[in-house]
Amino acid sequence: MAPLNPGRSRTRQAPIPTAAELEQRLLAGETLLAESPTHLLEVVGVLESYGEVLDAYSINLVYQAEKQFLNPLPIFKFLDGDPSLARIWKHLNHDRINFEYAEYCQKAMFWHGTGGLDAYLDTDAFRQSCAAIIRCKTRRDPLLGLLHPLFPDFLIELIRSAATTHALGQFWRVMSDLFLDLARAERDGRVGSIAQLVNFLMDGLVAAAAQPITYGVEVAGQRFWVLPPEAALTFLVDVAVPYVEAVFLRGMPFLGTVSFNAQAQQISPDQSRFAYGALYADPLPTMGAGIPPSLLMQDMYRHLPEPLHHWYRQQGRGEGDVRVKICASFQKAMFCVTNAAINGTFPHPLTSTDLTQQQANRAYAAAWVGRLSHARTDCLSDESAAEDGSRS
Amino acid sequence: MLSALLAIPFLGALGLMLWPGELSLEKVRRAALALLLLQLAWSLRLLLLFDPSCGGMQLQESIPWIESLGLEYRLGVDGLSLPLVLVNAGLTLVSAYASTTVTQRPRLYFALLLVISGAVNGAFLSLNLLLFFLFYELELIPLWLLISVWGGARRAYAATKFLIFTAVSGGLILAAFLGLALVTGEADFSLTPVLSGQLGMGTQLVLLGALLVGFGIKIPLVPFHTWLPDAHTEASTPVSVLLAGVLLKLGTYGLLRFCLGLFPEAWAVAAPWLAIWAAVSVLYGSLAAIAQRDMKRMVAYSSVGHMGYVLLAAAAATPVSLLGAEFQMVSHGLISALLFLLVGEVYATTGTRDLDVLRGLLNPERGLPLTGSLMIVGVMASAGLPGMAGFISEFLVFRGSLAAFPVATLASMVGSGLTAVYFLLLVNRVFFGRLAVTPPEPGGPLDIRLPAVPLVRHLPAMVLTLLVVAIGLAPSGLGYLSEQATTAMSQFPALLAAISGKPA
Repeated sequence: MAPLNPGRSRTRQAPIPTAAELEQRLLAGETLLAESPTHLLEVVGVLESYGEVLDAYSINLVYQAEKQFLNPLPIFKFLDGDPSLARIWKHLNHDRINFEYAEYCQKAMFWHGTGGLDAYLDTDAFRQSCAAIIRCKTRRDPLLGLLHPLFPDFLIELIRSAATTHALGQFWRVMSDLFLDLARAERDGRVGSIAQLVNFLMDGLVAAAAQPITYGVEVAGQRFWVLPPEAALTFLVDVAVPYVEAVFLRGMPFLGTVSFNAQAQQISPDQSRFAYGALYADPLPTMGAGIPPSLLMQDMYRHLPEPLHHWYRQQGRGEGDVRVKICASFQKAMFCVTNAAINGTFPHPLTSTDLTQQQANRAYAAAWVGRLSHARTDCLSDESAAEDGSRS
Repeated sequence: MLSALLAIPFLGALGLMLWPGELSLEKVRRAALALLLLQLAWSLRLLLLFDPSCGGMQLQESIPWIESLGLEYRLGVDGLSLPLVLVNAGLTLVSAYASTTVTQRPRLYFALLLVISGAVNGAFLSLNLLLFFLFYELELIPLWLLISVWGGARRAYAATKFLIFTAVSGGLILAAFLGLALVTGEADFSLTPVLSGQLGMGTQLVLLGALLVGFGIKIPLVPFHTWLPDAHTEASTPVSVLLAGVLLKLGTYGLLRFCLGLFPEAWAVAAPWLAIWAAVSVLYGSLAAIAQRDMKRMVAYSSVGHMGYVLLAAAAATPVSLLGAEFQMVSHGLISALLFLLVGEVYATTGTRDLDVLRGLLNPERGLPLTGSLMIVGVMASAGLPGMAGFISEFLVFRGSLAAFPVATLASMVGSGLTAVYFLLLVNRVFFGRLAVTPPEPGGPLDIRLPAVPLVRHLPAMVLTLLVVAIGLAPSGLGYLSEQATTAMSQFPALLAAISGKPA
C-alpha cells in the first residue's frame, strides 16, 4: 500500500534505521536511541520539564473529572478550583499551563478507544452506574433534566469522557513522578547513560503496572463509582497501553500544518492505521496556529532545567527556535519511553534460551517494529542532535 | 535650492572617491548614508517650500551654460516631479542602507549610487531638454557598472544588454530633441508645447514616436522590456531597488513630461493606439510573471505590467487618470522596492529564489516570518487591495481611463487581477506549507537550518510598508501635491486646440 504521507520522508534529517536493525536492537536489549552524552542531556532535561508539566496536567484533569463533573458550562475548568481575580488574569494573560494539550490527549484516547478502559465503558455495569448518576443529577439540575430525555446518550457520553479524563490524570500522576525521579536519579549519578535511563523508566512502569485505576464522583452528597474497583482496571494494560496507542502512535492529523486530502486516500479509512502520533510527528511545524503539540512545547519551555536550556541557547537560533528543539528532544524522549514499555512487556525474558520463547519475543518485537519503522526514527541516530540545530 | 539636490550627491561622490587614506566598507557606507540623509532632508525642505496650489514650475533656477547649443542650466519643480524627487531620495537611502555586503571597492560602489541619485534628481528637475538628456545619460554608466561589477553570475550579459537597450533609448530621445529643434528652428530646447501651426502632424508623430520608443525602452514597455528581467536577476538587491523604484520612473516621467508635454496634439491622435499598447504591456507582463520560476524575475515582470498602467493613464490624459499615473509612479516605486528588498532577503538567507525550491518560509521558529509577513503586505499592495497605495493608483488610473478607452482599461483590469494570481502563487509556494529548502541533490533531506534575519535588516522594508499603507489610507496629501500639475497637463490638448482654433 502506498505510504499515507508520500512527502513526509523528505523531511527527515538523518539516516533512518531499517526495520531489521530496529528489531535486532530490541531483541539484543539495546536502546533505540543512540548512546551519547547529548542525548542523555536532552532526554533527561526534557523529561524533567515534561514531569513538571504533567504534574499540572494531572492535577487539572483529576479536578475536571471530579469537580466539574457534568457541568454544562465549565468556564472555570482550567482554574483548579481557584477562581480568584489574580488567577483569572494570569489565565487570560496566558501566564499559565496550556491545559488544552491535556484535553487534546484525552480526546485522542477517547476517540481511538482501545484497551480495557474503553471496553469497560461499553459494559452493562458502566451503563447502570451512569443511570444511577444521571437519575440523581437530573433531579437537581433542570437543564440536564431537560436535555437528558431529548438526547438520552449525551450524558452517558459525557461520563465516558470524564472517565477517560480521570484515568489519564491518574496515568500522568505516575508518569510525572517517574520523570521527576529520573531527573533526581541522573543528578545523583544513578543514571548515566541512555541504557540506564530506559531501564529506569521500565522499572518505574513495571512497578506501577498493576496499580488500580478507579474513579468515583460525588453527586448531591452521594458517592457513585464510575470506574469501580470491581472493574479491575490497571495502570499499564488498561490506560498506559491505550495512551501510547492513541497519542504516541495514532494521534490525529493536525489542522493547519498539512492538507490531508481524504479523497486522495491520504488519510486511511482504517483508524487503526493512523500514524499521526508523537513518534511520527514532524518536529518543525510546532508553534503554527492550531497545532496542539506547540502548546506542550510552550509549557515545557517554561519549565526547562538550566543545563538543557543553556544547551539549547548554544544551538541554531538559540531562543528563536527553542520550541522546535524541545520538540525534537521530546520525540527522542518518547522513543525512550516506548522503548521502556516494549522492554517491559516482552512475553518472555530476552535472556531466555528456549526457542519457543525466543520466537514469541521475536514476533512481539516484529509487531512493534512494523509500526515504528516508518516513524521519525531519524531522530534516533547520534547525528540527529547536530541536525537539530548545532550546524546552523 | 534645487541645485543643492545635485550638489549633495555629486560632491559627496567626488569626496568619497578623493578622500585620502583607507576607508572601510562600514565607514564609506556611513558617509554615504549621511549624505543621502542630508539629501532626503533637503528634499523634504523642498516639500515645505513648495506651493501645491500652483500648477506651474516653482523654485526655478537658471544659469546660461552653452547658449550657442541651446543648453541652459535651468531647474524647476512641479507637482509631477516633486514626489519623484522624494521617492528618489528615500529609495537611494534604502538602497545604501541595504548595501551591507559590498566587499569589493566599496568607495566606488557608494560613489556610483550617489551619482545615480544626483543624475535622477537632475533629470526630474531639468527644464531644458538637453540638460534632461545629459542627466538621463549620466545615470546609465554608473548603473551599468553597478550591475557588471557587483552583479550575479551572468552579470556581463545582463549589463551589456542593459547598456545597449538604454543607449538606444538615449539615442532616440536625443534624436527627437534635436529633430524638434531642427524642424521648428527654435534651438532653446525649452519645455514649450509644439503647435500644429509650427509643425505638421506627420512630423509631430514621427518625433513623438521616437520619444515613445526611447522612453518605452526605459519604462519598459512590451516589446522593449527584455533587458529588465535580466538586469534585475543579475543586479544585487540594492541596485534592483534603485532600478525598479527610481530609474524606471525616468521613462514614465519622460512619457508625461516630454511626450505628452511637447506633443499634446500628436499625443491625442496616437492615444487610442497607446492605450492598446498599454493593455498589451499590462497583460503580457502579468502573464509572463505567472510563468516565472525565479522570484526576482516574477517581480521584474510585474513591473512591466504595472508600468503599463502609467501609459494607459497618460493615453487617456484626463485629470483623474494623470493623477493616477503620478500615484502609480510613486506607489510602484515604493512597492517594487519593498518586494525587491524582501526577495533579496530570501536570497541572502536561503541562497535561492527558485519557486520550485522554497517552501514554508513563514515558519515562525525557523523560517523568515517577518520577511514573509511584509511580503504578503507588499504583494497585497501590488495587487491593488484597498487600504494600500496600489489600490489608490489603480483605481484612479482605471476610473480616469475607462470613459476614454473602455476596452483597454478593462483589459488592464484583467492584468490587475492577474497580479493577484502570480503573487498568490509566489506567496503560496515560498511562504506557506512546511518549511523546506530543497537540497541540491534530489531526494536528500530538506534543509531547515536557516539563519535568523536580525530585525535591523528589516528596517527599510518596514518603513516602506508603512509608507505603502499610509498612502493607501491617506492619499489626499500626495493628491494635493500633484493635482494642480496633473490637471494642468490634462488641459494641454484642449488648450492647444483652442489656441489653434481646432477641436481637440
